[in-house]
Amino acid sequence: MTMINNLPPGLILILGAFLVPLLSGKAKNWYVIALPLLTFWHISQLDMAASLVLNLADFQLETLRVDKWSKAFGYIFTLSGFAAFLYGYYEKRSTQFVSALLYIGSSLMVVFAKDIITLYIFWELMAISSVYLILGSKTQKSYQASFRYVMVHIFGGLVLLAGIILTIHQTGSISFEAFDPDMATLGTWLILIGFLVNAAALPFSSWLPDAYPEATVMGGVILSAYTSKTAVYVLIRGFAGWDILILLGCAMSLYGIVYALLENDMRRILAFSIINQVGFMVCAVGIGTPLALNGAMAHAFCCIIYIGLLWMSAGAVLYRTGKSKCTDLGGLYNTMPWTLVFGCVGAMAISAVPLTSGFTSKTIIIAEAANSHMFWAWLALEIASAGVFLHAGIKFPYFVFFAKDKGLRPPEAPKSMLAGMAFLSFFCIYLGMFPERLYNILPDAELVKQAMPYTFYDIYVHHFAHVVTQIQLLAFSALVFFLFLPMLKRTNTIALDFDWFYRKGFGVIHLMIDTGFNGLNKWTNRTIALGLTAKLSAYFKDGPARLCMIALKPVWELSGAKIDGPDGMETRFLKKFRTAYFSVGSTAIFTLVLFLVFCFFFY
Amino acid sequence: MSETDIKLGYFDQPKTKKMLWRLLWAVCILSLLLEFFVHRKNHFDMENFFGFYGVLGFIACSVSILVAKAMGLFLKKEEDYYDDDK
Repeated sequence: MTMINNLPPGLILILGAFLVPLLSGKAKNWYVIALPLLTFWHISQLDMAASLVLNLADFQLETLRVDKWSKAFGYIFTLSGFAAFLYGYYEKRSTQFVSALLYIGSSLMVVFAKDIITLYIFWELMAISSVYLILGSKTQKSYQASFRYVMVHIFGGLVLLAGIILTIHQTGSISFEAFDPDMATLGTWLILIGFLVNAAALPFSSWLPDAYPEATVMGGVILSAYTSKTAVYVLIRGFAGWDILILLGCAMSLYGIVYALLENDMRRILAFSIINQVGFMVCAVGIGTPLALNGAMAHAFCCIIYIGLLWMSAGAVLYRTGKSKCTDLGGLYNTMPWTLVFGCVGAMAISAVPLTSGFTSKTIIIAEAANSHMFWAWLALEIASAGVFLHAGIKFPYFVFFAKDKGLRPPEAPKSMLAGMAFLSFFCIYLGMFPERLYNILPDAELVKQAMPYTFYDIYVHHFAHVVTQIQLLAFSALVFFLFLPMLKRTNTIALDFDWFYRKGFGVIHLMIDTGFNGLNKWTNRTIALGLTAKLSAYFKDGPARLCMIALKPVWELSGAKIDGPDGMETRFLKKFRTAYFSVGSTAIFTLVLFLVFCFFFY
Repeated sequence: MSETDIKLGYFDQPKTKKMLWRLLWAVCILSLLLEFFVHRKNHFDMENFFGFYGVLGFIACSVSILVAKAMGLFLKKEEDYYDDDK
């Protein structure tokens, strides 16, 4: 019983993954739908004092730290997993489920890890296991994108590992606690960079919009939730109050907007909106006050729900039409009305439209930026709030479901997909109207409820002024979208991003290395392998024969034998030497001559 | 003419489009008018201007679009830009 009480929740999913291949048919689907629910229940039952210590070499790995932070992330990670598997009821491939379960399980292990070595091990396992969600598309593009995805995460993982080793060496402790910005060492900075790679912070952002849109339909939904939110979690734990994160967060939220506006692929638009939303959270972590951190947590919770919902809606369109580009889509409202409705709920939630979850979570972060008198951060976040409505709130539904009717008439999404979307839609609206349930699971629930309105009456009647300003912001953003619509016509293009440096920039380096080292290689080949070696070889092969020929040539000339040509004496002689094929007679004569020469010199 | 009208979906009909445009303008104007009836606590002086959030939304979005458009001149490439890599 104690074993079960102290079982890290992630292990349920990781161990559970190994049973998936043994199941067949729909039993497999029901099994994976049930696993996250079981894990959710287990997390709710976990005692705050629970711990599981494993010995690894000299280190004691504390794999379980239960507190309100880890529990809150545990809840949303398992809920989102449940919704994704419900949505993925159509999926038959075991590899997809095993990969997804290992990925979600590892992210839970990271969340509940108390020491940094356990954290690192599962951090890497997350990257490795999730690759199959991208590879599952079985396209050339997904194959190449997953290769780059792994490379970027190996880079991030190595930086993190270097930081961890330096930090353990300096402090002698493997416990993962908050780092003090005033005592920052190289090791701490490297750990921060390692975390930021997974958070898709600038300039390590481009792996996300590069890889996620190539994933399978269910894979995209799952990927959208975990890697970046796990990074937000470890940033909250380790780097609260680091000023640089404010700047990075604002930059991410603005970068996401501009790139999403340039983008043509619907799932890539949503990938940029992940970066935009994670920017809000990173900024909140940088502000670092308890309210800001709780705001980051609340926003991560809601963000996982509505981003997942948006990816589900886009995934359903991809599943039914096989198309992902805005230039190929349009007019789908005719036959996929439910997908449209659920997609719009997600779009409204991400835009923080009143009555949706974005409105009750993002507001905490923006209000705290204003409370802390950080004018520029506040302004950047307000601008980003307007911009997110522009690209994720309107652009995505408009170009996919409305715009120019392309004559596509696919059937409505399968029922299981609609069920998954309905489940998340419910939370988007419920948490927007009654956020108290969410605020209650936050680590500093009382603090949040003192600072923020939390009942329906308080939010929408008593604080109606805020509702009005939010509607103003959004209505005029929408106005801009439709006024500028001719400028927003989609083109069949991609936009260059930071990944240019490793996709094309590495090409240049590759070219330099290619001409440099291969040139050296060719030169060496020419002069040594083909030149010197060949000469040495010829010397050792024919040397003795040619020495003998010096003595033999006059004899041949005197005897009048034919010397040159393919059947001449010279060629025949060389051949004889190479094959070491001598008649007994000639060998005897040669030995006798050698014996005489020997006697002549020594006696 | 009547034949194409039947084919057009509800949201593609000119009548619906006109109605939606009017609705959008109405929401914009209404949100401005409502500001007369509410009182809010502001953190920054800028917020005291009438219709500040509307103006902010309008400017922020138009500038984002223009910036994106300008960046597009340099950054937009054909779909197969990276395809000759491998």
